[in-house]
Amino acid sequence: MPEHIIVGMSGGVDSAVSALLLKEQGFDVECIFMKNWEEDSDYCTSEQDYKDALLVCHELGLQLKTVNFSIEYKKRVFDLFLKEYAAGRTPNPDTLCNKEIKFKAFLNYAIQLGASRIATGHYARLDQHNGSVILLKGNDGNKDQSYFLFMLNQHQLKKAIFPIGEMTKKDVRNLAREKGLPNYDRKDSTGICFIGERNFNDFLHQYFKSDPGNIIAVNQKIVGKHDGLTFYTLGQRQGLGIGGGHGEKEEPWYVVDKDIKNNILIVAQGHDHPDLFHTYLTVEDLHWITNQEPTTKNLNVKIRYRQSDQPCSVNITNGTAIVKFDTPQFAVTPGQAAVFYDGDICLGGGTIKSRN
Amino acid sequence: MHYFDHSATTPLHPKVKKLMGEVGDFHFGNPSSVHAFGQKAKIVIETARGQMAKAVGCNSNEIFFTSGGTEANNLVLWNLIHQNKKHVVTSVIEHPAVLKVLDNLEEFGVSYTAVGVDKNGGVNPNEVQNAITADTGLISIMLANNEMGTIQPIREISSIAKEQGIFLHSDAVQALGKIPINAKDLGVDYMSFSAHKFYGPKGVGALYIRKGLKLQPLIIGGSQERRVRAGTENTPGIAGCGLAAELAVNSIQDTHTHLESLAKAFKEEIKRISPDVIFNGHPKKNLPGLVNVSFPGYRSDLLMIYLDREGIAVSSGSACSSGDIKPSRILSEMEINDEINICSLRISFGTGNTLEDVDYLTTCFKSTLERIRSSA
Repeated sequence: MPEHIIVGMSGGVDSAVSALLLKEQGFDVECIFMKNWEEDSDYCTSEQDYKDALLVCHELGLQLKTVNFSIEYKKRVFDLFLKEYAAGRTPNPDTLCNKEIKFKAFLNYAIQLGASRIATGHYARLDQHNGSVILLKGNDGNKDQSYFLFMLNQHQLKKAIFPIGEMTKKDVRNLAREKGLPNYDRKDSTGICFIGERNFNDFLHQYFKSDPGNIIAVNQKIVGKHDGLTFYTLGQRQGLGIGGGHGEKEEPWYVVDKDIKNNILIVAQGHDHPDLFHTYLTVEDLHWITNQEPTTKNLNVKIRYRQSDQPCSVNITNGTAIVKFDTPQFAVTPGQAAVFYDGDICLGGGTIKSRN
Repeated sequence: MHYFDHSATTPLHPKVKKLMGEVGDFHFGNPSSVHAFGQKAKIVIETARGQMAKAVGCNSNEIFFTSGGTEANNLVLWNLIHQNKKHVVTSVIEHPAVLKVLDNLEEFGVSYTAVGVDKNGGVNPNEVQNAITADTGLISIMLANNEMGTIQPIREISSIAKEQGIFLHSDAVQALGKIPINAKDLGVDYMSFSAHKFYGPKGVGALYIRKGLKLQPLIIGGSQERRVRAGTENTPGIAGCGLAAELAVNSIQDTHTHLESLAKAFKEEIKRISPDVIFNGHPKKNLPGLVNVSFPGYRSDLLMIYLDREGIAVSSGSACSSGDIKPSRILSEMEINDEINICSLRISFGTGNTLEDVDYLTTCFKSTLERIRSSA
């Protein structure tokens, strides 16, 4: 009997091609459409996503089932997301969603349905090394999604297949077109799944009250009013509402820091302002994919998705990593993930706690 | 046939299908045309109106065809914007085709109070009475619930409505063909129906409007349906709706007996297979053949996938267009906790089901429960 694989179908072209490849390789493929968020507005695209997934499965001659993990998502991902925001940090729910939902709730569910492994349309690769599964960057440097998968453990990765990890997005689309998949030219989804295309601040305003305070420049001068620290991200340039005449020069303002205690948003002028750059950062809640701390100090790190590799040296003591960048980094953002790489190997990472 | 989701929709009755084909072939004229082709089509529609009226215990001129139950509900509710009294008493278990409409009417000055239900899914007439205000112009309570099958005390509610001079609407989409309906006995002013729930076609339904009442149209244009619903009539659909209603009501006793025997056999066997199952809804005041059952510890979506693989169709929560399964709002309103809620399935038998089908269903339930238990 061929191995039974369940593919997480999103309606997008990546998971569609993943299912196609597995089917062509002779696996017993079944597809599941996952819904993790209840519509709260017209912004939610899950209705269209489901239709697309259904048409793809129809084309491929595969079964499509659905599952709803919105209760789990709310409890294990979204509540934490809000808590982090409330504390002034900028969390990334997608890494947690992979750890708690796609590769836990969904994986367990698939196993209960008799599958031996699950497949997703992530741009990442898996390999074996010294008896462990290792996670590698996807071959498409521009699409690599290993950053979002750094929280996965050995059990989770042993049960995972990333069929398109070797391919570029262009190849994926071409193959989809060649095979007549109806979603071959579907627009890539952007941003956080539950927010979709809507304005991020409008979304946050549903959960956080306005809490106005001063915007103060690094030279202590009051330059404007903010609406609540929650609604701002470090390094942010747009939407600060700082008029002309405040600065010494005609350059845009950037968010440097949040003074939570005094409800002050601290800004500086000009993208190259030294206060926007940091050389050190502290990373906590470390997770290593092979359960081994890295043996070398000189690694690469990404502190946001799609950032190019940043050379650094890493010192780990008592579960905290002190990272020293070779070159100072713009807008190091507490709450975001710092993910470490050794060449193509994604070693693991943690949450940025502080920087200096 | 291993289709056990007749509360979602039903297959076409073969006689209905035949009639619709004939109407499409031979009575395609525009019913508004005065020539013979138009007249034939008009006769088809008026015949259907008569069948529909007889099926629900009213006069022909009290039946107005619509595109379905949703439109019928909308027609009644949107008329509130023309009324002086703009408060509505409804219940929390109404279909979105009532509750969402009322939400949308808020910006037009319409407000509403949704009364709760007891643990069996029943509305208490006293609560309806207590929710009435000086501004209440309409009460809208369904005749039977789609998920639980609980039959609501419409007669009691209609006495309250009459006493207070308030109009009463009932969404009877789930009830026609399953329990006897008599508009006069029930004392309602408006009642909504949908053909595809009683082996008629999709996309057609009807609204009963008590004689003497007049509604403004939602769909404006020609003078069809006595200016209550413009647009060239869906002649084959209307013909199918009328015949389906007649067939359903003519065989209602047999249907009732048949569906109840299937439900009884299913419940007995399921109880034997899985003694800790919980049957939801009212034990007696219930639509025949509708079983809402919780399997504690077994997620309903998982059960559905296993059953779907065996070619079995059941549902969970109310059928939802994006194909997902979420905690049922109705069960939540009955204060059933989320853990039990997400383990609930609705099995709704139909006239085409047999005891052999029930055997197959329970056998599949048994193997599914075993398989899930062993893989957990």
